[in-house]
Amino acid sequence: MFFQQLINGLTLGSTYALTAVGYTMVFGILELVNFSHGAVYMFGAFVVLMLMTALKLNFMLAFVIGVIITGLLGITIDKICLFPLRKKKAPKVASLISTIGVSIFIQNLVMLVWGSETKNFPLVLNLGSINIGSLKISYLQIIIMMIAVVLMAALTIIIRKTKIGKAMRATAQNMEAAKLMGVNVNFVISFTFFLGASLAAVAGVLVGMYYQSVDPMMGFMAGLKAFAAAVLGGIGVLPGAILGGLIIGVSEILAAGYIHAGFRDAIAFGILIAVLIIRPTGLLGKKVQKKV
Amino acid sequence: MKRYFSLIAILITFALIFTGCTDTGNDTQDTAKDGEITIAVACPLTGDYAQYGEAFKRATALKVKEVNENGGIDGKKIKIELMDDKNDPKEATNVAQRLVSNKNVVGVVGHFSSTACLAAAPVYQKAGLVEFSPTSSHPDFTKQGTYMFRNINTQEIEGPIVADMVVNRMKGKKIAVIYINNDWGITAKDNFIKAAEKLGAEIVAEEMFIGSQTKDFTPTLTKINEQKPDVIFLAAFYSETGMIAQQMKQLGYDYPIAGLSSLFNEELLKLAGDAVEGINLPTNFFPGDPNPVVTDFLSAYEKEYGAEPDQFAAVAYDTMGMMIEAIKKAGPDRAAIREELAKIKDYNGVTGIITFNENRDVVKTMKILEIKDGKFQLVD
Repeated sequence: MFFQQLINGLTLGSTYALTAVGYTMVFGILELVNFSHGAVYMFGAFVVLMLMTALKLNFMLAFVIGVIITGLLGITIDKICLFPLRKKKAPKVASLISTIGVSIFIQNLVMLVWGSETKNFPLVLNLGSINIGSLKISYLQIIIMMIAVVLMAALTIIIRKTKIGKAMRATAQNMEAAKLMGVNVNFVISFTFFLGASLAAVAGVLVGMYYQSVDPMMGFMAGLKAFAAAVLGGIGVLPGAILGGLIIGVSEILAAGYIHAGFRDAIAFGILIAVLIIRPTGLLGKKVQKKV
Repeated sequence: MKRYFSLIAILITFALIFTGCTDTGNDTQDTAKDGEITIAVACPLTGDYAQYGEAFKRATALKVKEVNENGGIDGKKIKIELMDDKNDPKEATNVAQRLVSNKNVVGVVGHFSSTACLAAAPVYQKAGLVEFSPTSSHPDFTKQGTYMFRNINTQEIEGPIVADMVVNRMKGKKIAVIYINNDWGITAKDNFIKAAEKLGAEIVAEEMFIGSQTKDFTPTLTKINEQKPDVIFLAAFYSETGMIAQQMKQLGYDYPIAGLSSLFNEELLKLAGDAVEGINLPTNFFPGDPNPVVTDFLSAYEKEYGAEPDQFAAVAYDTMGMMIEAIKKAGPDRAAIREELAKIKDYNGVTGIITFNENRDVVKTMKILEIKDGKFQLVD
């Protein structure tokens, strides 16, 4: 039973990790906790589902189009709700509240357009499972885990090695200076939001497929957990998001399996608080000197 | 500006009070001379719950039409006084005030939700007018007074029926229970466990989950798998039941599932497909029932409205039928109607064979459904 629970926990953890990667990337660039991430994640899953069921597109095509649409939604959110605040040099907390507003707006919009009931998400990649004794690991669980790692690696390469990555890092360090050096800051920020929202859509679709269901409220708890995972691992540090996601997922499942299902969230968040007291920057976070 | 607002508010209040007065006045006048019998139907006709009110409106009108075509009550025609409570407790109280002050109203079919029923109950009780709710399942509703009746099985009644289904039909000796952690789920689970233990079954696991937050049931299911139960009983709604069934299938566990009447919803089949095959559940109303009472109701309803009735229409139809039954015996006297309604035994309705217990809670037979070949099907 313990190993089966561990596998359950690792899978749940990798869905958190997948979502947390997008969170932590936007934070790394903009130092903005983007609370609309959970709603965008849900929106991505719904768009792909609707492309598949209403327009009868095949999964891969629907997936690609859905991810792009969600990415564009990310840019729109930035242009309408965050850009004006940046322009007026509003305090960071104003942007944060704005993202909460966006997430409520998206949730209600989806409920209005597609209804509030839980919908079936077809299991497109039904690849079966491997059995080792009484243990059962499905290939989908492995795929989710792999995709989280691959996305993390790809993002690290984009940020470390490409020109746009350099521009992103420059913008993160000092927006004004980057602008003076000829970096198109607005494009960089749009690109960041596009990337973040597309990652959320990928996560939403995979999680929707794993649980074979999506509903308009699915982003709320997932967003919160992913945020916790990002903070636990060290927000802004990509490998930290994966580590944090796995720790939260496994501790949650073990708490539900061995203590009581009522304590699952309490214990997961309890670990988060304990780690932050000992290491305020998160497990893999580095102390960064504050800009003056 | 503020002063104007309060002035307008006062004017509107007065206007509403006066229109209210004239309305009730009119009612008293035009029904008194007709020698008709007036039964009120109070339900939400506007607002979020209007669809349920619409089912009430149609089904009660159909019953009244049928009775009137067969000579009414002692030659007197029945008239429905339809009231909109918007499913709002405040509005329900207003509706109740108006109905009790209308001397022609001999009984009330309504309200829809427990909230509205509970808010209106003191008014009906004080005036001595029967409030017969087709749908209020809150345990406290009939405890509000002697004039409150309900036409839906409470968990106290449904629990033993489901326990019998699990222990005797599904041969469940070792039962695992998963329940939603809210008032409804806890009451349902407690009543089920009490009845199942009385029937000699053993409860091997009792696991809860948090509604609409818990999406991952794998730890709970893996834990239950250790106990190797005969049956898993779920006190849950269809969305979670679908997820539990799918995750069980993914984990490769194959245990029979039993649920409550809350699962009788086509959405469950759409949501979980073949993962929910074999689930057993009880229900009061099933459109596929070959019972002539049910088939007659179905064809009459479809002829009248061109649509299939749902369970809310069915239960409202029975509620009106029982109310008329009581009036036939008691005559148009509010207190006598209460006495006769309480005495009704084995009323053969579309939602089962209906009797009241001493608390005026209904005790109805239930049919057992099983999901087979992607459909709800009646088992013997």
